[in-house]
Amino acid sequence: MTDTSQIESTARPPFAPWDRRDIPGSFSVDETARRVGNYKWTEMKLFEALGGWVATVPELDVKMRLGTHCYHHAWHADLWHKRLPELREMKPERLTVPANAAMERFIEAMTEPEAPELTIEKLVGVYRVLIPRFIAAYTYHRNNTSEITDAPTIRSINFILQDEFDDWRDGEMLLQSLITTPDHVRRAAEHQARLEAIMVEAGGITGPDSIGTAETTSTEGGA
Amino acid sequence: MSDATAPASTAKVTVSPDEFTFVKYDASEIAAIVTELAEQLELANPIRVIVDETTPLAKVSEEIDAVSSDATITLHAESGALEDRKHPMSFSADVARESLGRILLRAHDRMRPDFADAPGDLDLTLEQNAAWDTYCAGRLARMGVRVNQQRWRYNHRNRFGFHDDVDARFDQLWAADGLGWADLTR
Amino acid sequence: MRQFFPVEDLARDERFVQTNMAERMKDGRTAIDVEKQSSAKSRGATKRLTPERHDASDAARGLMHGIMVGEIQALEGAGRTAHDFAAGDGTNDTVPFELKLDMARQAWDEARHVEISAKLSDWMGTELGEFAENTVLFEAACSNDPILRLAGVNRALEGLAIDVFTQMKEFGDVAGDPFLEFCEDWMLADEVTHVKMGSDWLRKVTANDPDRRTKALEFQQVVDKLFSFGGARGESADSSFSLARRFRELAGFTDDEVETISAMDAEALEERKEAVRKYRERVGADA
Repeated sequence: MTDTSQIESTARPPFAPWDRRDIPGSFSVDETARRVGNYKWTEMKLFEALGGWVATVPELDVKMRLGTHCYHHAWHADLWHKRLPELREMKPERLTVPANAAMERFIEAMTEPEAPELTIEKLVGVYRVLIPRFIAAYTYHRNNTSEITDAPTIRSINFILQDEFDDWRDGEMLLQSLITTPDHVRRAAEHQARLEAIMVEAGGITGPDSIGTAETTSTEGGA
Repeated sequence: MSDATAPASTAKVTVSPDEFTFVKYDASEIAAIVTELAEQLELANPIRVIVDETTPLAKVSEEIDAVSSDATITLHAESGALEDRKHPMSFSADVARESLGRILLRAHDRMRPDFADAPGDLDLTLEQNAAWDTYCAGRLARMGVRVNQQRWRYNHRNRFGFHDDVDARFDQLWAADGLGWADLTR
Repeated sequence: MRQFFPVEDLARDERFVQTNMAERMKDGRTAIDVEKQSSAKSRGATKRLTPERHDASDAARGLMHGIMVGEIQALEGAGRTAHDFAAGDGTNDTVPFELKLDMARQAWDEARHVEISAKLSDWMGTELGEFAENTVLFEAACSNDPILRLAGVNRALEGLAIDVFTQMKEFGDVAGDPFLEFCEDWMLADEVTHVKMGSDWLRKVTANDPDRRTKALEFQQVVDKLFSFGGARGESADSSFSLARRFRELAGFTDDEVETISAMDAEALEERKEAVRKYRERVGADA
């Protein structure tokens, strides 16, 4: 007969002492799906723009970087495309929409430069306005969603953020190497200001609450 | 044949054809380049330049009819050897200077007694050709002609191998002057 | 940004000079013996790009430069296809979302190929823009029909890339070049993927539209013949590089397709010879 007093217990708490993840999150399933749809739409517009611009820039190093970054953002769009059905959205195209009309105007304004001498404007729109906004929106989302119930979104955001930071650095370095005269500075600043004004109107990639507001609480919409 | 009129101490250069049909080359421009190169090399021999304009390839070769200061030097060049590679069928003075300069240097080498054993250009092995090209290209670069050293290093490696000792030999030949045939091909 | 981008607007820095097939075909010179009947001979013939050619390294440099500018155009073509068509069900002017993703992936691959080719050009002593750039490759990608683009780029252009890279890989291998064979093999692997992408999407998008598929395959044949470059690709001794049958088979080309391309290459060579003969007769008559 087995002496049960000698058997070592395997009962452990479900969360190790170092695992501080908790349930509460700011976003419901529907709200997460809405944001993810906005992310997907914007990543799609970005990769289309980068792909389209490759033929329009004469600088060889920029040309190649745009091709590489085009793929990064296409992959992000694909991650979101696959996430949507997991958030009960069986027709992903329904939620693949801009946050609002201003966001649509932002993309039109960002993609408007086409002439070969406008490389600075093209890069400013992406690397000094849109990608910083992506970094902000993704960071806010990752920090405010439920670490347990929305783990798949967090995982995708972590991979995507790595790309966003790397691409931001690439783009910023290219810009710093291209902006070499006071006229270049003026052009970059004016174009950035034009686009920022529209982005402010949009509120961000997912609209006015892209990075929360002063009134946002940690339990908004969550447990 | 068109003649380049020049003082007696300068080479008399003739170019054939005197008018080109397949390419937009000018015989007098070719003659002027060869005259300039011959002056730099202190060559006063009569020089014939024969351009094959029916092919776009770039083979060049030379021959001399005797080893003497009045021997005729004949330079053969397929049209690609004188061509502006960005504008096909157009002439490039830089490319012509490099191509014709190389074979003019060979002809100059052949005048030396220690080149008596060198086979004719068309009888050279690929390796002999490559070694001599390296030797000529290096001297041409020092004469102020625009030469891409890496291009000739790559050519040399393709013939002799991609090894450090091959690169060392390339560097030796490139920097050398006054070599005989035996030195070149050891 | 315009939806479609014309070839004459391709942006280049001042080192590059562009030409096209029409200009190239005005060249009455040829290395081919136009009076001789072409035949498929062994690889020992002089026109093939092998180290035994007297101008081997310069011929390889010229081909590598052609590869590099070809990759730039392939990058631009893939980027444009990712941009030009909205995501949809594949009818009218739309393409499936996943096809756009594949084109973006191809853009990344081609960007890498430009990087590789630029490094190899440096290794071989070639300056960027040293040779004229023929824009025929992008022109094949210019169709406003996405399916014709797939046929022109992913099957015809990438098929050509498979042929050229195989030739360069063999050249590098025989010459003992430590980088050339290595790099060409990596690029070859990518091109096989691109051809498969084209084959798969062509089939899927035209599954219920056999007329559209027929039109795409006809267009592909036109482009394939253009990419023979007057017989420069072919199985004759007069051709610089041959059809890479084994890698094309891996990429999904059928035996029939390869035989058709081979026949068109031979036809292109004879047409080129005839054009040169006529040019020479005309020039001789005018002289």
